[in-house]
Amino acid sequence: MDGDARSQEARLERLEAELTLLKSQLAGLAGPDAAPNALVQHSGGQEDRLSLIVFSGSLDRLIAAFVLATGAAAMGMKVSMFFTFWGTSALRRSAQVKKTLLERMFGWMLPTGVKKLPLSQMNMGGGGPMMIRYIMKKKGVASVEEMMALAGELGVELNICTMSMDLLGMKEAEMLEYPGLAYCGVAKFLETAAPGKITMFV
Amino acid sequence: MPIVLTAKAVKQISVGEDLTILADDRAFLPDIEAWCKKTGHELRGTQAKDGCFEATVRRRS
Repeated sequence: MDGDARSQEARLERLEAELTLLKSQLAGLAGPDAAPNALVQHSGGQEDRLSLIVFSGSLDRLIAAFVLATGAAAMGMKVSMFFTFWGTSALRRSAQVKKTLLERMFGWMLPTGVKKLPLSQMNMGGGGPMMIRYIMKKKGVASVEEMMALAGELGVELNICTMSMDLLGMKEAEMLEYPGLAYCGVAKFLETAAPGKITMFV
Repeated sequence: MPIVLTAKAVKQISVGEDLTILADDRAFLPDIEAWCKKTGHELRGTQAKDGCFEATVRRRS
C-alpha cells in the first residue's frame, strides 16, 4: 500500500510538472498577442524608424545609404542598417584571421572596407571611385568614412548578416570597429523593421 | 549634410536659444523647413545671402 501511494504521488508530481510546462508553452504562443501593446507593435508603420538593407557592395550605393541614414538620424528617427551579401565587404578591414582555402580565396576577391569598394557604374578599373572621392572632397561633401563616423555618433545601428559572413568566409575579427555593431539574422531584421515606417533595399 | 551638422549643433545650445546656420547647399532651405517640422524646433527666419543660405532655428526641446 505504502509503495502504491508513493508511486501515485510521483505520478502526480510528474503530471503537475508537465502541466506547468504546457502552461508556459501556451503563454509563449499567445505572448505577443496577449501583450497590452500588441496592436501597436504589429500594425506596422507606427515607429519613426528607417530600416535599410545594404545588399550592394558598391561605393555609390553605400554613399546613398549613409546619406539617408545620417539624414534620418538627424531628423530624429531611429535608424537601423542591415548589411548583407556584398554589402558586408563595406564593413571589412584587413586583419589576420584563420580561414580555409576557399574562404581565403573569397577574401582575396572581396574588397576590404569602403576604401576598396568599386562603383556600380563607371568604375573604370578603380579610376571611378578615385574620381568620385576627389569630386566629393572638392565640393565639400563628407566622405563615406566621415559619414560612417557621424552615423556612429548619431546612434545609427549597424547589423551584419551572419549567414552572408559565413557564405563569404568573413570572420567577426575582421569587421570594423563601430559603436554597437551587431551580428544578426533575418528574424532580427524583420522584428526591427516590421513596426517601422520606412524600409529600403540598397 | 548641413542638416546633419545642424542636428548635432542644436544639441550644443540650450532650449530657447537660437542657432544661425549658413549653408551653401541649394537644398538647405526646403530641408531645414522639413527638419524643423519634423523635430519640433522653431524656424525663426531664412534668407539667401551671396549664393549661400542662412537660417535661424530656435531650440524647442
